[in-house]
Amino acid sequence: MSLATALFLAFFGIAAIWFGVVVFRTHSMVRSAIALLFSQTAIGAMFLVMQAEFLGVLQIMMMATEMSVMAIFMVMFMMDPGGMGKMDMTHQKRLSLWAGGIGLAVALAVIWTAGWQGPVPEVPGADEQARMLGRELLGRSMFIFESAALMILTAMIAATMVAIAPQERDVP
Amino acid sequence: MIPELLIALSVGAALFGVGLYGALSQTNLVMIIMGVELVLAAALLNMVAFWRYLHPDVTAAKMFVLIVMAVMAVEMAVGFGIAIARFRSRGSVEMEEARELKG
Repeated sequence: MSLATALFLAFFGIAAIWFGVVVFRTHSMVRSAIALLFSQTAIGAMFLVMQAEFLGVLQIMMMATEMSVMAIFMVMFMMDPGGMGKMDMTHQKRLSLWAGGIGLAVALAVIWTAGWQGPVPEVPGADEQARMLGRELLGRSMFIFESAALMILTAMIAATMVAIAPQERDVP
Repeated sequence: MIPELLIALSVGAALFGVGLYGALSQTNLVMIIMGVELVLAAALLNMVAFWRYLHPDVTAAKMFVLIVMAVMAVEMAVGFGIAIARFRSRGSVEMEEARELKG
């Protein structure tokens, strides 16, 4: 076990959880989006600690863009994006707390009783990992990769069609 | 016993719990999407941890991570498309006011 790795994982993990909690505690929606960005960035940093360099950088870059877009949508659609009116935008809090708590407890019970066996295997270098991933994408997992591309294309068309304002001629 | 794996999986479990709470308790569509994003992020973290500490030689695990990232982007794009349509027709994305969507 590497103490430094465990410490960095714990540090970024606590940061990710803390910012995740802040997302739902703050009244300001813009702060919520920024807190989610920090939480996702901390997860990306955990990927880097776990030597998944490509995925870590991808996670940070993707989430930075995604959360910036989300912040813009917050300002557009929220009644009180700055949180000045301290509006309560929650419901069924007790049920949600129970569901989240039970989910957490069950997951923790499984994790801590599973008995994962060591030793920790060696990881290939970053360049070797990228080469292996490239071979995977263009080899055995090509069909899955192409299906993901189709899924994204379908979602782009669907999201655009749903969001376009109906024209007068479209209304029967 | 692999302590680093336990730490990473426990963080994933906590993020799952927080995300589930958020997705269920919020009334605003954008905030619900945020909760789902946290749940998916927990899944990502688990997959990377399993890859790193159990099977670093299996590249298909990373492929799975890329697919979940694509699902996150798709979920957000379609969610915001629905939010725009809803805002245009009703002037709000509060899900408390969307009871007519109930089957």
